[in-house]
Amino acid sequence: MVSPISSKKSIEDLENQLLKKNKSLNEKYLELETLLDLTNTINSLDDLNELFFNVLTLSSSIINSSKGIVLIKNDVSNIFDTVSSFNIEGENIKKQIFNTRSGFLKKLNKEKKSFIVTSKDDFNHELFDSKKALTSPILYNNKLVGAIILFDKESRDGIINFEKNDLKLLEAISIQTSIAFQNVKLLESLKKSNKLNENIMSSITTGIIEINLFGEIEFINKEALRLLKKDENEVIGNHFFIIFEKNNLLIDLIQKVESEQKRIFESEFNLKSKSKNISINLSCSPVFDEGKSFSGIVIAMDDLSKINKVKSTFKKYVSKNIVDKLLENENSLNLGGEESEITILFSDIRGFTSMSEKLSPKQIVKLLNKYFQSMIDVVFKFNGTLDKIVGDELMVLYGVPLKNENDTENAVKTAIEMFKSLDKFNSKIVKDGFEPFKIGIGINKGKAVSGNIGSEQQMNYTVIGDTINLGARLCSHAKSGEILISKYVKNSLTDDYKFKEISPIQVKGKSKPIDVWVYKHK
Amino acid sequence: MSDSIKNVEEKDGVIIISTAGYFNNLAGDAVLEVFTEKMESGSTKFLVDMNDSKVVNSIGVSILIEIIEKLQVVNGVMAFTNLAGIVEKTFNIMGITKYCEVYDSVDSALEKLS
Repeated sequence: MVSPISSKKSIEDLENQLLKKNKSLNEKYLELETLLDLTNTINSLDDLNELFFNVLTLSSSIINSSKGIVLIKNDVSNIFDTVSSFNIEGENIKKQIFNTRSGFLKKLNKEKKSFIVTSKDDFNHELFDSKKALTSPILYNNKLVGAIILFDKESRDGIINFEKNDLKLLEAISIQTSIAFQNVKLLESLKKSNKLNENIMSSITTGIIEINLFGEIEFINKEALRLLKKDENEVIGNHFFIIFEKNNLLIDLIQKVESEQKRIFESEFNLKSKSKNISINLSCSPVFDEGKSFSGIVIAMDDLSKINKVKSTFKKYVSKNIVDKLLENENSLNLGGEESEITILFSDIRGFTSMSEKLSPKQIVKLLNKYFQSMIDVVFKFNGTLDKIVGDELMVLYGVPLKNENDTENAVKTAIEMFKSLDKFNSKIVKDGFEPFKIGIGINKGKAVSGNIGSEQQMNYTVIGDTINLGARLCSHAKSGEILISKYVKNSLTDDYKFKEISPIQVKGKSKPIDVWVYKHK
Repeated sequence: MSDSIKNVEEKDGVIIISTAGYFNNLAGDAVLEVFTEKMESGSTKFLVDMNDSKVVNSIGVSILIEIIEKLQVVNGVMAFTNLAGIVEKTFNIMGITKYCEVYDSVDSALEKLS
């Protein structure tokens, strides 16, 4: 028979056991809740400092550690810096160098799993004023990038050893932390990449517009805004029908790309932009997502107005061929006032003064314009640069601003063809009752300084130097139907060209007579 | 006074203990010391202001339970105020809030306790 005393004692024992079990159950529940909290917290953070502090406080709280630190590897030095600490003070810790060559980090780097730090792990407990430590790795792509260290498990009887359960808990926390760390790093990298894209997009000279699946403008860069003469606020989020309401052709093209999902390119497309029309090269491309589903359209616009301006300006002076070459390769353009070898051609009309006396000013201008047009056509045919027209005189350059191997030959070819062209021109004007034009041509070759020369108000691309002066003198000595060339030109030609040496001529500014060769037309 | 105790004062017969930092073994013991001293002087109403303690561990909580048990013997009262969300959750799970009240502010606690 059980005595009342022993019965009372066994009830008390049962009560105590029940209380202990209940406490233990509550602690487990707390661990689970804290882990859940930690997961929710660290997954919603995008700041690493906040992330690590939360990890330390929550893990210390459930494991009953008295303090903790988080170390993260510095990408540059490969040293693990203390990036967060909990319940630890002191600058010494921040100054301490941790690396994977020795100590607990070496083991952590090798094993990549949590462990209770022992005396074998060469851990400096004095530094942390601690007795026990527990550590767990922070991994990125399975490489050690950091560590969580908790110190001194507390109990009512003082500091006790960490247990297996603590190890499991910290392991679970460090896995969550590693994932959160990777997410934050990826987010940072994405932000950097977006920033880089923004910088590129805002600095390029091509206008870019991105249209989403719903036809709304999702992105527009500065150049596209400039071309459309619109603010970003009035474009972003609006349907392309609204933004391009004056550009029906562009709307049609976008719709065509939407339906056919193929890239369309239109050169010299006429973009209507508020009050102005702008010539652009237009590319309209479908965009596909990773699953290769159509996800929108990207429009690229290259403003041709600047290029056309350059073209129209230069076309007055050089052939289309040279303009295109210059635009292809800006480095080939020499406008800086440098000395280089050039060939220069001068031509003028013989007896123009007496001829003009018989004509009205209107007739003179009309005839001269026709004459120069036919001569300049020849100049451009052989890639000459028209330097200037002074009265009835033409000055043409070869070798600047763009150098060619056969510049001198081209100058001679120009001169010969100018006579042929003049014959045609003369046959026309003679029919109209005018006297035929007679011209003489001089060609020289040598060093000259070329560049933009003049004042701030007026600056022209031209050449200066003795070579030019001699070219002009040769022209003035040439009789009607003659091409006079210097020995520098003659030496650059093959024997195919029928030039005959004549008596040296004395020219102004030269002490000795100049060797001269002549070509006679007809 | 321990670093874990920011301030101890008496208002309307209530001892207000303001804690600071990690409420762990050390902080728990510091509160227990103040409590023991004040209880011996006859105080039975205690309010713990945890505005500056945002993290607790179960050892800190178990000390608080010890204090509550001692107070229950003398029909005393223990209350808490300014609990961080995570601290209040821990108190709920560990069962503390079954035996004592939690108030939003010191003033509202004093209104009820005094």
